[in-house]
Amino acid sequence: MKDDRQWPMAAKNYANTRYSSLDQINAGNVGQLKLAWSFSVGPARGQEAAPLAVNGTVFVVAPYDGPNPNQVFALDAVTGDLKWSYAPKPNIAAKGVACCDVVNRGLAYDNGKIFLNTLDDYSVAIDANTGKELWHTKLGDINQGETVTMAPIVVKGKVLVGNSGGEMGVRGWLTAVDETSGKIAWRAYSTGPDSEVLIGDDFNPHYGWLKGKDLGVKSWPPDKWQIGGAGVWGWISYDPDLNLIYYGTANPGAWNHEARPGDNLWSSSLFARDPDTGMAKWAYAVGPHDLWDYDEINENILLDLPINNQTRKVLVHPGRNGFMYVIDRATGEVLSADPFDTVNTIKSIDLKTGRPVLNDELTPKLGKTVKDVCPASPGAKDWQPAAWSPRTKLLYVPHQHICMNFQTSEVGYIAGTPYVGATVDMFAGPGGHRGEFMAWDPVARKKVWSITENFPVWTGALVTAGDLAFYGTMDRWFKAVDAKTGQVLWQFRAPSGFVGQPTTFIGNDGVQYVAMMSGVGGWPGVVANAEIDPRVRNGALGFTGAMQDLPAQTVGGNSLLVFALPKTQGAATQPNQTNPGASNQGNAPTGQSNHAQ
Amino acid sequence: MRNTETAVSLCVQPIIAKRVLAALSAVLTLAMAMLPSQAQQSAPAATSDSSAGLHGKLLQVPVTTLAPGGTNPRPTIKTPPLDDPAAAQRGMQAFNALNCVGCHMANGGGGMGPALSNNFFIYGGEPENIYLSIAQGRPNGMPVWGSMLPDPVIWDLVAYITSISKAPTPQWGTTVSASSPQIQQVPAEDQQTASPWDNTESFTKGQKPD
Repeated sequence: MKDDRQWPMAAKNYANTRYSSLDQINAGNVGQLKLAWSFSVGPARGQEAAPLAVNGTVFVVAPYDGPNPNQVFALDAVTGDLKWSYAPKPNIAAKGVACCDVVNRGLAYDNGKIFLNTLDDYSVAIDANTGKELWHTKLGDINQGETVTMAPIVVKGKVLVGNSGGEMGVRGWLTAVDETSGKIAWRAYSTGPDSEVLIGDDFNPHYGWLKGKDLGVKSWPPDKWQIGGAGVWGWISYDPDLNLIYYGTANPGAWNHEARPGDNLWSSSLFARDPDTGMAKWAYAVGPHDLWDYDEINENILLDLPINNQTRKVLVHPGRNGFMYVIDRATGEVLSADPFDTVNTIKSIDLKTGRPVLNDELTPKLGKTVKDVCPASPGAKDWQPAAWSPRTKLLYVPHQHICMNFQTSEVGYIAGTPYVGATVDMFAGPGGHRGEFMAWDPVARKKVWSITENFPVWTGALVTAGDLAFYGTMDRWFKAVDAKTGQVLWQFRAPSGFVGQPTTFIGNDGVQYVAMMSGVGGWPGVVANAEIDPRVRNGALGFTGAMQDLPAQTVGGNSLLVFALPKTQGAATQPNQTNPGASNQGNAPTGQSNHAQ
Repeated sequence: MRNTETAVSLCVQPIIAKRVLAALSAVLTLAMAMLPSQAQQSAPAATSDSSAGLHGKLLQVPVTTLAPGGTNPRPTIKTPPLDDPAAAQRGMQAFNALNCVGCHMANGGGGMGPALSNNFFIYGGEPENIYLSIAQGRPNGMPVWGSMLPDPVIWDLVAYITSISKAPTPQWGTTVSASSPQIQQVPAEDQQTASPWDNTESFTKGQKPD
């Protein structure tokens, strides 16, 4: 769907650029941007979901809490009128196996249907017009520690869904579900024998050490691959010309690396697969034998870049390990990898082998505390997706800047309970700030400009042909900046901190809107939205240490915020001054009135 | 492909089950190792021979403070001694070995599960409430442990949780501001203790501790 009036999937398009060619709102007029309407989705937990928009209807999903966990709402983009809602049948025990807040990263639209993943492992199809349930399919088991938090993506009639649970000893997988029948078409595990990882004769990784039979078994101690993590909870991109999907896998379990000698394939790895069969074409282990919980589920943005005077089909992967990877997406060869934040765990990426050159002085040993490890476990950048503008040729990267003390401990596996084995204590990185929003040039391989933020920038980015980049802060600011210079042109103080994904689209009135969920949470935000003690630094897998002053800035929230430029002439959506009873159709700013705590 | 899928799960499950049993037997060995010292230090009334009576009374323990008609239905429960430092120490070992720490985090700071480091308990903070929350599980994510753990282990966990929940309370309510809270615990990587609130330092506001 190349129609930029729509925003049909969380990442906007198969290339995952989060770029919109809309330019009604631009650097010249963004200063006048106003709240058009807002809507409460209910539970005041982390609002990480991207609001979608198709044919003038906005679709959004709530976190997994309250009376209607993961409730889906369809609203008119112009008026905010609620057209329908859909609540999956809840199993609230699922909250007990969700590592990092009960978030959902969004829905997907395809072929008249909305697709929902629930925290308790169902994939659901809903009629986009009526809200009627078309099918639901159980994909996982909370008693094995599995949850689903990722936004689905639909490729060639298949809904692609992966599991979360790298902290619970799950066995990671990506599953393709037929969008019409709801039947499972294929499942590709991240660990185990080739027959289950869907590695066959066509598999051709670029690096020799990644070739061999059943490496998903042999690179682990006996049987450990069965509880080795490597979930699939991030982003999937798709190249129709090469007919390949791309995604990354999560960290291996347990975090205590001494429990799992070996390269632990295919955790913290990238896969290229045929979407029709699921068969792997290539893979690249970004973090063999991960030491720090560096998942590599981050987005892979598909670009054609001029590299050494040649146009190369690449994917750009802003690594959790703090390196910006540019990889040939046909072969899996790393073309460049450069640090974009403070990194002392990895010295460099060896481009001959693709392997990270580790700083051995920091290797954790059982019971010993390793101090000042940068980046911390959430990495220099976590799931929060970057955006790419073909106009400025820059990548807009929201990320964090935190370090940690790290101590491993012995841990036994009990199904359905955490499998971590680490005590973690995070804190602000050098300079004292904890986040950054930066523009990165992937050809010149350097940072062009950056804005430092007090807290991690945990929202996705949006960039438009109006040369505006949008992001939100955890201390409640939604910002529009000049995409060329990074100058802040507009900001809005919201009910709660931001951890969501900004999107933009056209309503049935022909007007451009920008939408964003307000509601702090996610791994860094639970200290402000849940019963977590800011005085105990090791809480929230150690993220409390770096976020303990967040509750002084915000508490949880639940607001969908939709912004537009003020109407210059009489329009049907203007408040009706002569009939106050009809003013709920209006676009006058509603402030924070919809924000229930 | 789906047939393969079924076959896979069939062959995987027994191995997983075996792993659980292995983990469990390790835990139970730990529990059994605790039993003699528990028996020496506990009043006879609290040991297993009277557990049927204790369990009968536990059934009457309310999980709310709302009592219609002005009744006071809370029974008098004689628990094992909970202020015993050895019990809290054993509880700390069990807390870490049984993965309680994975949800409630080191020193009970809270994460997937709520904080246990303060004096607030959603399902009641009396020892018998904490016992029941562990034994029965709770609907919002707390697993049921009563079928896996012997009673003395659960009571040791209660002793530990009671110990770590003794946060200083300078006032009745909680003020959060740029200057409050003022203290934090010395983090767990720097102290291994069942009484973490005995060692505090200045609140660092997300910055690196000294």
